[in-house]
Amino acid sequence: MSLHRSLITVVNLEGIGVSENKIEKILIVDDSEMNRAMLTAILDKRYEILEAENGEAALVALKEHGVDISLVLLDIVMPKMDGFEVLAVMNETHIIEKIPVIMISAENGTSHIKRAYDLGVSDYISRPFDAEVVQKRVNNTLMLYAKQKRLVEMVTDQIYEKQKSNSILVNILSHVVEFRNGESGMHILHVNTLTHLLLKLICKKTDKYKLSEAEIDLISMASSLHDIGKIAIPDNILNKPGRLTKEEFEVMKTHSAIGYSLIEEVPYNKDEPLLKISSEICRWHHERYDGRGYPDGLKGDEIPIYAQVVSLADVYDALTSERVYKSAYSHEKAIEMILNGECGAFNPILLECLKESGDLIREELKVKSFREFDKGEIVRITDEMLKVDLANDDDSTVMLLHRGKDIV
Amino acid sequence: MTLKELYKEIEGDYDDVMSRLPSDSLIKKFVIKFLDDKSFELLQSSLEGKNLETAFRAAHTLKGVCQNLSFTKLYKSSETLTNFLRPGQIQEEDVIQNQFAVVKQDYSKTASAIKEFAQDD
Repeated sequence: MSLHRSLITVVNLEGIGVSENKIEKILIVDDSEMNRAMLTAILDKRYEILEAENGEAALVALKEHGVDISLVLLDIVMPKMDGFEVLAVMNETHIIEKIPVIMISAENGTSHIKRAYDLGVSDYISRPFDAEVVQKRVNNTLMLYAKQKRLVEMVTDQIYEKQKSNSILVNILSHVVEFRNGESGMHILHVNTLTHLLLKLICKKTDKYKLSEAEIDLISMASSLHDIGKIAIPDNILNKPGRLTKEEFEVMKTHSAIGYSLIEEVPYNKDEPLLKISSEICRWHHERYDGRGYPDGLKGDEIPIYAQVVSLADVYDALTSERVYKSAYSHEKAIEMILNGECGAFNPILLECLKESGDLIREELKVKSFREFDKGEIVRITDEMLKVDLANDDDSTVMLLHRGKDIV
Repeated sequence: MTLKELYKEIEGDYDDVMSRLPSDSLIKKFVIKFLDDKSFELLQSSLEGKNLETAFRAAHTLKGVCQNLSFTKLYKSSETLTNFLRPGQIQEEDVIQNQFAVVKQDYSKTASAIKEFAQDD
């Protein structure tokens, strides 16, 4: 929804044309020096021209200059590597999405032209070309891409801002709970970081739980609220030095269902994915994979994967932190205890991820500040959204929620 | 010799090239530059060395350059040769040789006329 709004804002903004000052680089790829010289002469005044005499040289230039190159003019028949092979590589590396290609060829058969378009070229100019037409087509393609790029940048900035303000609010809220617990303030940060890491690993390992970059981000943010129900636990139990009695522990256990209700009963934004996911994380982060957890005794994948992951992150951090009733275990010891099943029952895939994560966990936890949304991540989220052509960001999360739905 | 006369001499299409390329001087520049283009020599040497893949590329380049300069006669003969050499559809050797002879003749005529034109200029 908010993405909708941002898009409208963007479209209304003026001045999204091509920057006037920057001279754009065009890469001309043709094995004939004569042809390159001719195209250079036609375009020269307005652009900086780079030349490559075959496909291999073109790839070298693309690697060296990257997106500094604004456009590629590409011949088909060339020694060493032909134009189609160049396009194939540009597709594999996704650079074709960033740098437009205009094919210029004497091959005028429709099969060649169709194949070029299938491989993502923006335009196809047949020989013999008309100088003015070449200039116009080059200029149009550059303008379109520049506008597109600018729009993507603006959307990326908006998403970044949205994520940032969301996460600031969530951090404040979760800090309030931690503050009352008398905890160090690191627990929620650690759970957040570990959740993010484990979700990434699990998505790499299996396609059973297909999560997009945006969903992983959202879940990590939601994980910060997992203990929010503790706000309703009486002080003498919550902050009791030493072990809890059986009765006290029963009270303590209510924090998961309470957290769920607290979020569930928020009167506004009922359909917001953040609320749905965080409420379910609250409720089910003490469930066990073998069905012996609380409050609902869910079993296996009845527990949404995000609650499973937060549960594991929670346990790992509890083991490696000092508590009034215990000292901190080392990373190795904690992993060993979890893998041996001493601290609950977990999804075997998740345990494999934990086992294989090695030093990643320690390294990530060393960074003692909340994971900044780095630009690369936001760019990937934006790319993801543009690829699925989502008009709003709800659809993907609806899918995500459905995966956990059948158990409610 | 004027540019127009040159085009007549080599059986090119002066009006066509004038309509596509921006100026007389630019066309002149590239017509003269045609003498430096190595694709004909590459075509000849690769045919002698029976390297048909390179021969195809050279013929293809020659065809493209002639097409852009509206050297109609040489363009047509080199286009025919290009198609004879096209991978997957290679013709018998004497068919290729005969067509190469035509291209060679057209090329020589074109090149010598351009040399003459360049001297006048």
